[in-house]
Amino acid sequence: MKFIKKQIPLMIVMVVGLLTLASYYVPNKHSVDYIELLSKWENIVMAFAFLLGLISLFYSHYNKISRKTDGWGYSLFVYIGFLGMVVPAMMNGGRQMVDGRLTMLGWSFNYIYNALSATMFAVLAFYIVSTAYRSFRIKSKQAFVLFLAAFVLILGKVPLGQIIWDFLLGWTHATVSEVIEWIMSVPAVAGKRGIMIGISIGAIVTSLKIIFGIERQYMGKD
Amino acid sequence: MELFANLWAWFSGLFVITPAWMTLGAWVAVGLTIFIFSFLYKDNPFFKIAEHLYLGAGMGWWFQVYLYSIFIPKVWDPLMAHQWGVIIPAVLGISLVTQFIPRISWMSRYGFTFMMGYGAGLAVPAGLSTDFIAQIGGTIEPLSRMASMTPFAIFNSLLVAFGVICVLFYFFFSVEHKGAVKKVSSIGIYFLMIYFGAAFGNTVMARFSLLYGRFDELYTYSGSNYFYATQVILISMVLYFVVHALANKGKKGTSEEAA
Repeated sequence: MKFIKKQIPLMIVMVVGLLTLASYYVPNKHSVDYIELLSKWENIVMAFAFLLGLISLFYSHYNKISRKTDGWGYSLFVYIGFLGMVVPAMMNGGRQMVDGRLTMLGWSFNYIYNALSATMFAVLAFYIVSTAYRSFRIKSKQAFVLFLAAFVLILGKVPLGQIIWDFLLGWTHATVSEVIEWIMSVPAVAGKRGIMIGISIGAIVTSLKIIFGIERQYMGKD
Repeated sequence: MELFANLWAWFSGLFVITPAWMTLGAWVAVGLTIFIFSFLYKDNPFFKIAEHLYLGAGMGWWFQVYLYSIFIPKVWDPLMAHQWGVIIPAVLGISLVTQFIPRISWMSRYGFTFMMGYGAGLAVPAGLSTDFIAQIGGTIEPLSRMASMTPFAIFNSLLVAFGVICVLFYFFFSVEHKGAVKKVSSIGIYFLMIYFGAAFGNTVMARFSLLYGRFDELYTYSGSNYFYATQVILISMVLYFVVHALANKGKKGTSEEAA
């Protein structure tokens, strides 16, 4: 039983991992076909993984409703929201526009999902300002540099900021847009590159550990 | 059968988007927008409704995306065309759902290991070529063209190379950070701070641009052609908060006294 429960899954991860890795470096028709096939399979498995999450969410909210826990009524809106998107999609075959006309799915997307999604992220603007206040309290030279970079970037992207820059620093003959471009393409790039190189080394090492079965946390307990 | 067809035609006709639907859409969008913004004042039932609706609508949206881009064209249609190869990923996918049945939940490992193997196999070359080699190449390559570069461009290239080395020193823990190493790594912190500051500034501006978009929509829907949706819903919300505060004023006092 251990063979079926543990060894076969570890074999799958090793074979699939090594073949995918090798296919990238072997310019051959078979390796290209293999990558295309596996990419299609991955999409299918990912779609089922989404179903796993969906069922889990529904189950959790069903439990809240059936047990009448605090705020159980709100859980009903999860199902209403879900049906509000899925039923119109079924009616229109998943199309938002037909013959240049908005379908019911397009309506639901524009007026329900898009409104909710955009507002949810827009609200974060207020919280990010309070976070900015806390993080920009200049306690050290490093914090001052962080503040300066963020301040110049924010200042340069609003018309009022550009006017202020031209008024105070116009004598330098450098526009705020040029300064932003320089920050983004020189010192910020240096910082970003260092992080990306570090991340890539970490990702490669973790991937190899997964392929060779050294890292197997994702398999859970027996 | 004809009756059913007629009923379906009538039912579908109800959902043809007309100007009335657009006006209703404006009211729904304004309502949901203000419900979420109301959280800035305090947590309230309207926000919770919008929050749960967002969760459901988000899942519904992605469900229909997967249904019409994966389940139907990549699983159902091939099966109907007797292409049995698709059964393998479908079985691997279904194995994930066994997570809900503790006795056979080990089966989900087959699906997970497939995803992990494929992801890990892909991450190695992707990490090597796009992140590791490309970033080092991007840092070194300008140094090979110095003869044709302006002094300012040379300065920039050297600064980037110097910054990358300093940042890498900061992340290098195999030697103790003291002496020259400490100095170099502390310069690396400044480059990191500039990157974090720039990233923070960009995030702030992206969020504010979304905020302008929401305000613009609220302004658009405040017109007479939308029957003053924004004003009506906003005033209703304010009235709710006032009435709620007045109704709870006595209760709060009593509870404080009791405490």
